[in-house]
Amino acid sequence: MSKMILSPAERSYLYDSLTQAPPIRPDSRTDHQFRPLEAKTSFLPGSNGSARIRLMDGSECIVSVKSKVVLSALESSLIECDIDVSGFRDDSNFVSNLKFYLTNLLQHNFPTQYLKLTSRYAFKLFIDCIVISHSSYPLSLISLTTYLALKTTRLPLLVSDVNDEEVAEQPTFSDDWDNAKYIGDFMKDGEVFQPPIFITLGVIGPNLIFDPSTEEEQVLENGLIVSFYGNKVITPISNINLATNSNNSNFKGLNRSLITKAMALGNKYCPAVVKALDTLIEQDDEEGTIF
Amino acid sequence: MDTNEVISITKPEALVNDIDSDVEMSDIEDIETPKDNSNTFKSSIVTPGELVTDDPIWMKGHGTYFLEDKTFSSVAGNISRVNRLLSVIPLKGRYQPETGDHIVGRITEVANKRWKVDIGTKQDAVLMLGSVNLPGGVLRRKSESDELQMRNFLKEGDLLNAEVQTIFNNGIASLHTRSLKYGKLRNGIFLKVPSSLVIKSKNHSYDLPGNVSVVLGVNGYIWLYKTVAKSNSAANTSITSNTSKFQASVDSSGSYAPGQGSISITRLEEESSWEIYSDKNDPNISNSVRTNITRYNNVLKALSYCELGITEQRIIMGYEASLAYSNIGSLIDKEAMESICQDIINNEKMRGA
Repeated sequence: MSKMILSPAERSYLYDSLTQAPPIRPDSRTDHQFRPLEAKTSFLPGSNGSARIRLMDGSECIVSVKSKVVLSALESSLIECDIDVSGFRDDSNFVSNLKFYLTNLLQHNFPTQYLKLTSRYAFKLFIDCIVISHSSYPLSLISLTTYLALKTTRLPLLVSDVNDEEVAEQPTFSDDWDNAKYIGDFMKDGEVFQPPIFITLGVIGPNLIFDPSTEEEQVLENGLIVSFYGNKVITPISNINLATNSNNSNFKGLNRSLITKAMALGNKYCPAVVKALDTLIEQDDEEGTIF
Repeated sequence: MDTNEVISITKPEALVNDIDSDVEMSDIEDIETPKDNSNTFKSSIVTPGELVTDDPIWMKGHGTYFLEDKTFSSVAGNISRVNRLLSVIPLKGRYQPETGDHIVGRITEVANKRWKVDIGTKQDAVLMLGSVNLPGGVLRRKSESDELQMRNFLKEGDLLNAEVQTIFNNGIASLHTRSLKYGKLRNGIFLKVPSSLVIKSKNHSYDLPGNVSVVLGVNGYIWLYKTVAKSNSAANTSITSNTSKFQASVDSSGSYAPGQGSISITRLEEESSWEIYSDKNDPNISNSVRTNITRYNNVLKALSYCELGITEQRIIMGYEASLAYSNIGSLIDKEAMESICQDIINNEKMRGA
């Protein structure tokens, strides 16, 4: 990813356009509109779940979910994430921050009780994300792809006895993959499996814009990362300079009232994002092209 | 609430693959050993590594290589023949500058007596300090103080439009901005399309409906901006020196913008003030102009998405087709882009183009 510099005239034009009421975005999206996505699920044969999201500008993320049977007493967490961003070192601040955001979100907001197999054994999920290309801050892209991958993750059916408190027994699984179950299948009636997601919001003047593009990021006054789980905005909500690849001279403090506004907007529009993702999974067929 | 208003997620589309994978090898052999040695080639489109001709009389041009008395194509493109020179013009690829091209570029580096400019070529182009108009008039000598304050004229990140003056032996393009239609760009937004989609024409800056103008760089870099009022460019050689001064003062109030047309040499001298290097936008850009600019931005992206050649007429037709969408935000969806391009194609068919 090359360094992005806008000319002063471009910056001020963009800033003035985005501070209008309502903001006039360069691609004429409304303030709460995301860029269109292209997505595909369950295409990696060696993974329990997989998903891929691509944007029009060529940004692309692939997520694979793999599972392993572990002794739950020996594990600190049943979810482990790894993120690889092309062009960045794995130990760079950029990548470790992304990794922390995602790991932290999933470890605290995931129905891990359904990963428990017996009193001793559990499934551990390994979530591997590869960002092949990105222009804007990729956290939202990673998190939406992870949502799709987790929703389509299938775990093999346990055929051995669930109760192993008295008799030590290794769990055994049905060797028929058709019997495998989605994580959502383990849920009780009335519950739906909807993993948490992140969305990014740009703060500019009095406005909040969803899913800022890389040009917009260059002139933002601040950025917000909002997490959404269980049909409502949850913590953590953090602020960040989204223009990670350049100096953003507009960056400044955050007005508190905008945080409450961001939460209200998140509560209003994120259900639509989750619904769109769920609809895609329903319509996605095993066949068809993956590219 | 309609989900599509917030986000649209689609499945990837199956590639339409018309290429028959069962082409028999014997067919390929036929292509590679053309029986007739006449000057007609079997097909005008070739792929990399394809035999173009085994006749050694042809001179090898760009996009070809020569092995064992045979000429092969090194790119995917059209065969072009000029007398005995055989070259293959690539269908896609980086922009290849030619003298006289009107281009849009971004300064990447300020160096010794020159600026490096990104114009989408393999190597950055150069803009020599001697090839720009400096404040104080055309015929002014460039002094050492000009060299020291080059960043006050143009600095890293600045966008400008210019003309390709020459191509050096090493392939680097040299630019010039010695006309008032060239120079720093203001009052608008920048976008890129593949350079192969921009069709070369006599003029590359147009005024479009909706009070928007465009500089359609031959290199695929495009600048959309607010149209500048034409009243003062009506000035011509017949004006008296008094009115000329008056107009120069009007211009120095900040209404200058590049692309406003030809200006007589005397006015050029007077207008070459610091204003031409100003970074300040017009303070009165109405929201309707801003909205129209975003509409054109989406139309150009749609043309680029559907790989339609970009001309002034098509931009205007696309704009008219886009007016059917009251919610311009929906124009970024694939279906909308395809339907706009279909409208343009239908429109052209009806006009008999």
